[in-house]
Amino acid sequence: MPLNIVVCLKQIPNPDLQFQIASDGKDIKRDALNYKLNGADEYALEEAVRLKEKSGGRVVGLTAGPKRTDQMLREALAKGADEVVRIAFDEPAAYDVGKVSRILAAAIRTIPHDVVLTGVQSDDLVNSATGGLVAGFLGLPHASVVTRVEVKGGGLEVACELEGGLQRLYSIALPAVLTIQFGANTPRYAPLPAIMKAARQPIKELSPAALGFASWDAVPLPYAFAVRGLSPPAAKGHAEMITGTVDEQAKKLAQFLRDKGFARR
Amino acid sequence: MPGDVLIFAEHLEGRVAPSTLEVIAVGRELGSRTGGHVRVVLFGHDVRSLADLLARYGTEVLLVDDPALAEYTPDGYGQAARAVVEGTKPGLILVAHTSEGYDLAPALAGVMDLPLVTNCLALRFDGERLVATRRLLNEKVQAEVEIASSRPIVATVRPGSTKPAGPAAGGTVTVTPVRIDPSKLRTRFLSIERPQVQDIDIGGADIIVSAGRGIQKRENLPLIEEFAKALGGVVGASRPLTDMDWLPKTRQVGQSGKTVRPKLYVACGISGAMQHVAGMKDASLIVAINTDPSAPIFEVAHVGIVADVLKLLPATLKELKG
Repeated sequence: MPLNIVVCLKQIPNPDLQFQIASDGKDIKRDALNYKLNGADEYALEEAVRLKEKSGGRVVGLTAGPKRTDQMLREALAKGADEVVRIAFDEPAAYDVGKVSRILAAAIRTIPHDVVLTGVQSDDLVNSATGGLVAGFLGLPHASVVTRVEVKGGGLEVACELEGGLQRLYSIALPAVLTIQFGANTPRYAPLPAIMKAARQPIKELSPAALGFASWDAVPLPYAFAVRGLSPPAAKGHAEMITGTVDEQAKKLAQFLRDKGFARR
Repeated sequence: MPGDVLIFAEHLEGRVAPSTLEVIAVGRELGSRTGGHVRVVLFGHDVRSLADLLARYGTEVLLVDDPALAEYTPDGYGQAARAVVEGTKPGLILVAHTSEGYDLAPALAGVMDLPLVTNCLALRFDGERLVATRRLLNEKVQAEVEIASSRPIVATVRPGSTKPAGPAAGGTVTVTPVRIDPSKLRTRFLSIERPQVQDIDIGGADIIVSAGRGIQKRENLPLIEEFAKALGGVVGASRPLTDMDWLPKTRQVGQSGKTVRPKLYVACGISGAMQHVAGMKDASLIVAINTDPSAPIFEVAHVGIVADVLKLLPATLKELKG
């Protein structure tokens, strides 16, 4: 059963970096950030390509973001997407997941889809909301935190991770939306010829007009959303720090562990 | 006015999720400030005793009993949730930010075209506006966002960000029938799967030395094992390591793994993402080693060392043996 698969991808600032707050307090400073494909979306992309390899069909990689996200879309092509689409939504931070999800859903309506995949969360905004919202807007069934997907009897069987290591298994009718969990598979590396080929492949761009909006500001929302401000988190508490050279730190740590009775004297 | 508060309870195999009591605490607090009525919705089948238990926390409990709701499914609970929201017209809908909660809440917001804010550490009303405190970018940035709407706002509350509600008087149970249309259910529950236990149980260990991405290579695991052995402890891991199969899933500490309360927890090269911290923050003594001085693990640790764990552990082992 060939599947039309759409995988929603997000490019995020590498969360391992340090961040500074912009002078207006409404965003982080973005002039010197290093961007990458969101962690969970790597697994979603891999799951999409594996589903296609097993069942046949096509994988379309979709993102809503500025021009810089082309690099991520080419990575998706090199890893097995057949086509990529960039919604030219250029709000750099896009803090309102409701707005972005409405735009993604509008774009998915224009693309054949049996399965819509995305990562369980983005590591920048950590909403875990895009998949569910998109499913709701499109009126599709969905499942979240998916660690296994199998095509079965015209639908899918999925395992969803719960707290404490439990999994809940469902069968789900198609078309459906799934959010893929970290570790669901082992994402592949792109082979060099595929990287070279991806560099020449076209990236389809969708404007607001293509999705029926006069502008991105005219996306109808049943609410008003605003970022009040960003700040460095007030530390709840802070560790007592052991300082010095590595050898000094090691000496103090060993002494500390001995004093607390955790190591032989 | 911000209106009434509607809370969706979570339960599994006869137990109410601890996060539900935290959400009730948030709901009661908001309700007492705005004058809104607080209702807790319990979906299930033959769960009267859970409804009675929830009523001890002082709110009205809407018990929705239907065989189709015996097990959670996104579709079944989604359909029932929509019916209850339409029937009660709340101003605010609260759900715990758990695997089940962030499955239910966004889809409900999508299907009903409602505003949504998720994974909130704190919520308050400023006039008509709901103000949410959130953490971004691996806990390194805090954000305050606001939503104003004439429609019910859906919000999910991060587990562990509030103390659970204590018992309170005045709770009641209202049996609330909801019509579920089985022909519209497209997800079907199959089973609950448990991890196979054939490994040591880190949940019972007094001393845990956990490794994170900071150990860089699988080949460095023996160093962690050696350190754990020197302290008489066992090796745990953060999620990325078990995802890469460097260690079995049974060693994973965190929300999706084990919750541990050892006497000593040494976090080696673990940044301290919320999902990990949720599983170890109650250890009696936490020592964290990380190269990044701004790593959030230093917020929960009692003792912190900014160092490369691959250099610090060998040096410390030498000291311990010396």
